[in-house]
Amino acid sequence: MWTDFLILMKQEMAVIAMIFILLFMKLGRDRSNESFMNTMNVLLLLNLILGFVFNHEGILFNEMFRTSRLIAFEKNILNLAMLIISLQSYSWLKTNKHVPEFYILMLSSLLGMFFMISSGNLLMFYLGLEMSTIPLAAAANFDLTKRRSSEGAMKLIFSSAFSSACLLFGISMLYGTTGTLVFSELPHLINNNPLQLFAFILIIAGFAFKISVVPFHLWTADVYEGAPVAVTSFLSVVSKGAVLFAFVSVLYTVFSPLAKVWYNMLFILSLLTIITGNLFAIRQENFKRFLAFSSIAQVGFILVGISRSSDISTTSVIYFVLIYVFSNLAAFGVVSLVTAVTGKENISDYKGFYKTNPGLSWVLTIALFSLAGVPPTAGFFGKFFLLIAGAGKGNYVLISIAAVNIVISLYYYLRVVKAIFMDANPTPLPSIRTPLMPKLAFIVCVAGAVTIGVVSPVYDYIYSLIVLR
Amino acid sequence: MYSLHAITNSVQNWLNARLSSTWVLIIESLIVIVLAIALFAALGLILVWLERKVAAHMQIRLGPNRLGPAGIFQTSADTLKLILKEGLTPDGADKFLFNFAPFVVMIVAMLLLAPIAFANGFQIWNINIGVLYISAISSLSVIGILIAGWASNNKYSLLGAMRSGAQIVSYELSAGLSILTIVVLTGSLQMTDIVQAQQNGWWIFKGHIPVIIAFIIFIIAATAETNRAPFDLAEAESELTAGFHTEYSGMKFALFFLAEYINIFIVCAIGATLFLGGWMPFHMGNWTQFNHVMDFIPSSIWFFGKTFFLIFLIMWFRWTFPRLRVDQLLNLEWKYLLPVSLFNLLLVTLIAIMNWHF
Amino acid sequence: MGTAQILFWSLTALALISAIMVLVSKNPVYSVLWLIVVFFAISGHYILLNAQFLAIVNLIVYAGAIMVLFLFVIMLMNLNTETEPQKSIWMKFFGVVAGGLLLSFFISFVISSADLKGKSAQLKEGEIGLIKTLGKALFNDYVIPFEIASILFLSAMVGAVVIGKKD
Repeated sequence: MWTDFLILMKQEMAVIAMIFILLFMKLGRDRSNESFMNTMNVLLLLNLILGFVFNHEGILFNEMFRTSRLIAFEKNILNLAMLIISLQSYSWLKTNKHVPEFYILMLSSLLGMFFMISSGNLLMFYLGLEMSTIPLAAAANFDLTKRRSSEGAMKLIFSSAFSSACLLFGISMLYGTTGTLVFSELPHLINNNPLQLFAFILIIAGFAFKISVVPFHLWTADVYEGAPVAVTSFLSVVSKGAVLFAFVSVLYTVFSPLAKVWYNMLFILSLLTIITGNLFAIRQENFKRFLAFSSIAQVGFILVGISRSSDISTTSVIYFVLIYVFSNLAAFGVVSLVTAVTGKENISDYKGFYKTNPGLSWVLTIALFSLAGVPPTAGFFGKFFLLIAGAGKGNYVLISIAAVNIVISLYYYLRVVKAIFMDANPTPLPSIRTPLMPKLAFIVCVAGAVTIGVVSPVYDYIYSLIVLR
Repeated sequence: MYSLHAITNSVQNWLNARLSSTWVLIIESLIVIVLAIALFAALGLILVWLERKVAAHMQIRLGPNRLGPAGIFQTSADTLKLILKEGLTPDGADKFLFNFAPFVVMIVAMLLLAPIAFANGFQIWNINIGVLYISAISSLSVIGILIAGWASNNKYSLLGAMRSGAQIVSYELSAGLSILTIVVLTGSLQMTDIVQAQQNGWWIFKGHIPVIIAFIIFIIAATAETNRAPFDLAEAESELTAGFHTEYSGMKFALFFLAEYINIFIVCAIGATLFLGGWMPFHMGNWTQFNHVMDFIPSSIWFFGKTFFLIFLIMWFRWTFPRLRVDQLLNLEWKYLLPVSLFNLLLVTLIAIMNWHF
Repeated sequence: MGTAQILFWSLTALALISAIMVLVSKNPVYSVLWLIVVFFAISGHYILLNAQFLAIVNLIVYAGAIMVLFLFVIMLMNLNTETEPQKSIWMKFFGVVAGGLLLSFFISFVISSADLKGKSAQLKEGEIGLIKTLGKALFNDYVIPFEIASILFLSAMVGAVVIGKKD
């Protein structure tokens, strides 16, 4: 029975073990930042490899913890993203005073996300959500000397506290009207009680905050701009990805009787999100804000894919998140390196980047093309499958508006590419020598962004995981 | 011998025979109220006199010896003086809160009297979560102190109140964890169950090592929670004038002063109940003859004896140890007492499961 | 009306009035003190539902620890109405409209919800709130949330120390 727990919860146990190793390392003798980072990178790599072996299915503790091969794969995507972020933040962390605390906060957030994804009970889900938010609120303030950082962290804390309160209110009303919190029992108990509908709206509001869907996106730009780049990349990729996985799972299992209600809702929300994200991204000057609005637009596309509730949409969402990990982290990696070395964050500072850093500018270009959805890169395939999934309901208005918006988004992505390659700049950014760890991260990201689209077994593998679940 | 239990039973029967049940309830409540206030007054007088005499004899002097034999009327004279003093409210102080704070502290002290068993069957309220109730109410006393410090419109009062509040909140943790060791051994939170479980010996003897550690930690934490030396940084004269009750004079100061001594009595009473057996006489295992002899001494005398022994211990500390600075104080709690209490809790759980206690 | 009913209605009235006073008080310290009264009223409700452990833990954690924390911060900040930035009158108006709409929706949902009508809670009976039952449930069914909450607190402490420590 003991081995049952250990094997089923192996990924959570691995992350908890890493947190405790970090704590004991910190309490021990004085170590340099490099030793912490090297240890952590090796451990994260081992964690990633662990995620591929011994995957069993099972339900523990009265449906508090469910695991299946699909969930293990989702967790592994987050592990991969964590490893890449850890590799990329090497230059920033080398001179930082609080390296072990950074890793502890990130790993606690990751642990919370693991529990949120594999929860079968709304209580555990809420706890996982809180556990993923609170360390991030502290980590967003990691640049202790900058005021922007504190402002962003304050906004994150207040907004996430309020949205968690809305989510909890919805959950408690759902519990009050149905009498159970377990995912598998809830769909049978949802009749068309107006109070349940109100609860549903509040729960969707809580989710929509975390994935930055449009009426709830106001925190995104300021927090992404204020937080250090490693934390921003974590927020934009890992946090968003985990909540998307949980969203898909909750929406399809718990709220399946309300399918007609949320189809219309997702239709409007996705349109609003895509259009607002695109319009605001056009005007941005700061690179991090720009990437924030671009990620809002990407979420709009994901909502298009979710709106048809079936296995194809789950597959396309997971596939897109995997591709999004690679492309977004490539872009954030370059920004992280440039910010750590020079401290400059504006798009206009990147003019003439190609002259001094050809390698990095190619990485950034491939990343931006992938985010925009230009064909040979994987981003095209991700968006393609999302739109195909969304078209399944026959609502061609949605698809055509989304397609038009893809073209509009090309404008602002190519604006950056133009600045890098074509604009002249008397004082370009200095030539940056990439250390080994970020170089590895860039290689992985670029390889992923270029090849995953054309390597079809990936999509089929994900589909098989979902169908056989 | 007469036991208080017999007296209460006879009073209850007498009342029930004559009046209807709601009237009985009201009259009994009134009796309890009068007794509690009388206890407070008596305890205040006795404890202040005791403190001055103990302090004096430790410093090889005589202490109050003019008013009455061995100076026992000294406190009454002091109380009369305090009543006649002018009660001054500082300019700019928040009048309502300034007047309200001493009452909050007094109310908390009175509420804490409820679950304490003074003698066999002589308890105001026997709730089944007695120990937890004590933790809850003692954590409310901080609010009274903070309000007093803030409402005085005085920087030093506020600082003293903050220090005092931080100290009380920190030491509550260790005190709660040491109380938990006894709860683990007894298996119940009810005060009567805890005292009954000590029928064949007090917990300090039965649950050897962890209970002794818990007792020591409890005494240290209790001294810190009541702001007594060596933890009286918040109210020592040479430090912050008088901390949170600097601006109080006259009757309001008398209430604070009284509440402090009542708090000392209450934490010692709790320590005596949990660790030293409360009203249970000193029994040893199943030596029935010996136990029978010990039972002759009435239970109230056992209880008050143990409590006053602990009070003497706390007063002894005042003149033995030097005062701790506030950072040393908080260091002591968070870096030393709390880890030891947590480890002790694990130890006592192991002992309770393995049945290694007597 | 029995004693339980009288107690219920008076505790409810106390909770609602104190909650409104929390919002309306001009002095933030008064707001915190009224909030403490709200917590006492809620603990009273818990005791009526025979959940004694929950009532006492509510007092220990909320009124005894969290409110003390609030008091510490507010007392050191010296807030008064002159230093508060005032929002424009239109914002306040729309805030009132939005809040009032939410309240009216909520009330209409509760009223029109057929299966909630006529049900009343069990007073002073039931085993759920007793410590023994609670302990058993906590360590059998709900052990994962219980343990994960402790790691959550650890990471929150690490985060707080990173932000707050001065060096």
